[in-house]
Amino acid sequence: MNATDISYWQLAAGYGLLLFPFAALLWHGVPILGDTILSIVRMTVQLLFIGFYLQFLFRWNQPALNFAWITVMVLVADASIVRGCGLKARRFLAPLSFALLIGVLFPLLLFVTVIIRPDPLLDARYVIPIAGMILGNCLRADIVGIRSFYESIHKQEKAYLHALASGARLHEAVLPFMRDALRDALAPTVATMATMGVVSLPGMMTGVILGGSDPATAIKYQIAIMLAIFSGTAITVTAAVYLTLYKSFTPFGLLDKEIFRSRD
Amino acid sequence: MKNTFMLDVSNVSVIFGKVTLFDNLYLSMHEGEKLTLSGPSGSGKSTLLRCIIGFAPFSGAIHIDSEPLNTHTVWRLRRKVAYVDQEPDLGPGQVREALKRPFSYKANHAVNFDPHRVDSLFERFLLPQSLQSKEVRTLSGGEKQRVALIAALLLKRPLLLLDEAASALDANSKHQVREYLREQSELTILSVSHDTRDFTLSNSVFNIEALKKEEAR
Repeated sequence: MNATDISYWQLAAGYGLLLFPFAALLWHGVPILGDTILSIVRMTVQLLFIGFYLQFLFRWNQPALNFAWITVMVLVADASIVRGCGLKARRFLAPLSFALLIGVLFPLLLFVTVIIRPDPLLDARYVIPIAGMILGNCLRADIVGIRSFYESIHKQEKAYLHALASGARLHEAVLPFMRDALRDALAPTVATMATMGVVSLPGMMTGVILGGSDPATAIKYQIAIMLAIFSGTAITVTAAVYLTLYKSFTPFGLLDKEIFRSRD
Repeated sequence: MKNTFMLDVSNVSVIFGKVTLFDNLYLSMHEGEKLTLSGPSGSGKSTLLRCIIGFAPFSGAIHIDSEPLNTHTVWRLRRKVAYVDQEPDLGPGQVREALKRPFSYKANHAVNFDPHRVDSLFERFLLPQSLQSKEVRTLSGGEKQRVALIAALLLKRPLLLLDEAASALDANSKHQVREYLREQSELTILSVSHDTRDFTLSNSVFNIEALKKEEAR
């Protein structure tokens, strides 16, 4: 059994759901109406394009092409992280790309080659959506983690300098900030896992059920993807901090304020 | 006193953008010497201390225990210097944890955390022992300054830099701290204070303006 298709007219009717949120925003004078409309338009256009593109990707089903597409997704996510953290692209794009790539590829390859083992092994129908799910979470975790790390050191500069004055090396002085960054980045995934299936039916499980599989298969996919997401986010945030660390501090161990895009 | 200087500041200038905070400063201190720098707010006293601990960029030369301070030596030289800020932030947790934390750093493995010395310094500086189990963030300004000074003293560094480190203390506490520091004959102390009538450790009181010539050595 496959999911029932939605005609474009039926989908258009779905936009009727926006009436209430738009009315609430207008009534309360919340100044995000423009951004909201822009985001909805972007989402629609991007998904239409991706849907169109994925049809070809699935039909060609070439591992090299899949990897190229994952690289494109990583680069777009990378730019989004640098922008979201208020950091300078020149210094952060390359190390963050690498951190994202290993954060996605390690759990992805484990997921498809050990857990699912589809035939062919790197089937685009599995690799691309799973990579997208892991990457989406890595992106969110990196924005939270990297921003928390550098902004905390900036805001709590005296505590950081006290550690340096007390003899801490760079990796020792940043350790409390690294701890906080990892906690902030991973807390949403930990909280999601704790309530999964009780508070919400998660996306992948729903997708597998709508695709015609029985719930027993769906929960196995969901458990595996949550483990992959948790692993990916932990890997990418840790790698992102350590890969950017030595570029972001002066040889005297002080945070280089030039890493921030703009500061008061 | 040894012939070599514990601290030697030579022709040091600090320029932020187009603003010259100070230029061509000279200052030398022998081991055990205690000196207080005075001068109006904004004259660069605190910045000079920050230069010596490697927290502010400078031009010129700073030698600590005859070794030049630069990007290669700063991490090693910080093991010889203790620094107490006017508004110290000892990090999160209880006072006892904050005092113990530096001993987990590799640089301090040769020094042992001595709880008896902590108790004795608390008593000497008129701090109740119960303060050790309080959260650092709940301390008053004067308590924080004394705890920060204790943290610095515990590390047994030969050079102590004090940036208005007694500014929030009451008269009794100030007296106790001053007397204790004066007794430390081997400890070299450079303190800065905008009001030298208030807190000095010796008769060597210099206005920062007086350091702007080589004879200041």
